[in-house]
Amino acid sequence: MESNVWLIAAAWMALALVASLISIRVGISVALIEILIGVVAGNFLGVHSTAWIDFLATFGAGLLTFLAGAEIDPESLRRHLKPAAAIGTVSFLVPFLCAAAFARWVGGWAPHAAWIAGISLSTTSVAVVYAVLLDTGLNRTELGKLILAACFITDFGTVLALGVLFANFNGWLLLFVVVTAVVLWQLPRLTRLVIARVGHRVSEPEVKFIFLVLFLLGGLAKLAQSEAVLPAYLVGLVIAGVFVRDRVLMDRMRTIAFTMLTPFYFLKAGLYVSLPAVAAGALLIVALLLVKVGSKLLGVWPLTRLFRFGRREGAYTTLLMSTGLTFGTISALFGLTNHIIDQTQYTILVTVVIASAVIPTLIAQRYFEPPRVEAVPKGDGPDVANTRPALES
Amino acid sequence: MFHKILVGVDGSEAGRRALERALDLSAHFNARTLVVSVEENLPAYAATVGEVQDEEGYEHAYFSEVQREVRRLAEARGLHAEMEVVPGHAAAALTRLAVERECDLIVVGHTGHSRLHHLFLGSTADRVVERAHCAVLVVR
Repeated sequence: MESNVWLIAAAWMALALVASLISIRVGISVALIEILIGVVAGNFLGVHSTAWIDFLATFGAGLLTFLAGAEIDPESLRRHLKPAAAIGTVSFLVPFLCAAAFARWVGGWAPHAAWIAGISLSTTSVAVVYAVLLDTGLNRTELGKLILAACFITDFGTVLALGVLFANFNGWLLLFVVVTAVVLWQLPRLTRLVIARVGHRVSEPEVKFIFLVLFLLGGLAKLAQSEAVLPAYLVGLVIAGVFVRDRVLMDRMRTIAFTMLTPFYFLKAGLYVSLPAVAAGALLIVALLLVKVGSKLLGVWPLTRLFRFGRREGAYTTLLMSTGLTFGTISALFGLTNHIIDQTQYTILVTVVIASAVIPTLIAQRYFEPPRVEAVPKGDGPDVANTRPALES
Repeated sequence: MFHKILVGVDGSEAGRRALERALDLSAHFNARTLVVSVEENLPAYAATVGEVQDEEGYEHAYFSEVQREVRRLAEARGLHAEMEVVPGHAAAALTRLAVERECDLIVVGHTGHSRLHHLFLGSTADRVVERAHCAVLVVR
């Protein structure tokens, strides 16, 4: 079994398939179910990773980050740049510093491990926020778009910190920065050119072109001891405008990611969560969750008032920005893979991240949900709705 | 007796029975009909926005088919039915819309579940009965 690649692949794909079926049945994202199944597989079934699974998982994390960057609505970001930048930056910075300080001085973690804690718990899950906004119809309002734009800024802070904090400041980093800058500058034009000339053929040259860029920049990032998710997110951000006009390409990239790559990433993320460590670290888990939500409250809530959100909308926005999932687990797994944190610390961080996806969302929906936006009849017309922002006049 | 009837439709056989009964009542009382479908399966705690959008697209396509069938059944009775598809939890969405649209009757189908399911989760019909501000008709 150990050397039989096919059987190992079959076992992992069986886990991924079970996760998909459960996800469809219970209406919870496949990512979260894959993590939970990974926890079961790691703790009770003795499943462990291999070198090729590690590669697929790493590529899955990179592609997930790329997709997250590419999902931004550039027009919406431009329109809300000032409040989104302010809220998003504070939403990253305050929890990052608070969680790192708590892990260092209260948890007694080593400095680098404390930075990983800060990064993992600074995140905001754009997808979790989007799903909640969709549920209330707020995704079509200016308030909803502002919240999403701010979440992108927060995530940008997270990937930037992950890419810079542990990098070696040497020639490789300089090379990485220069090549990345040039590639990002030319990438939208080149991607449009590839799509126009040879796009949408069966051999998928445009997908291969984007993979080539991700591999190349990821490789350079690795040489600089940086993290491949940083260029992946930036690549996604700069070609988001191309993807907005080419939904087919986006769909194909997502299909590739969710079929063959991200299951390996999320299962692996769950595999290293130790249940005994969850029980032993329960107090620290609760404390770190409170630090994450509390620090978001400290940073984001006053700003929502400054930008004249209503009290209810301010509390709702703050709680939604306290959610986390994808980047939180990516940061924690980066720390574990690079031996910056140990398995117990990894377990604590991933458990807090998962709890932060669920608990603030439930509180926001239960106690602070702003008035719902008029529902739109579907199927007979364009998707239009009242887009008046729910801000105080 | 009833002025506006809200009926929950999910494409199931139970939903179809509820719809037919609601349309019959609308015709009888000369009431307006609001047919509501709830997108319940959008993934919570998603990893990417696209994951949610894809599922929403799937649900949208599914309920477009359901709406076509609703329109056909209504037109066969010479009725016009208002239709809406909303995301959320079925019972919460139906009862909320009933208040917002000033409906005075909610009609839902009853789907059979195992005793275990009933014990722990209950059914949409149970929860609509608990939450509704108006009369509720559960069609078996």
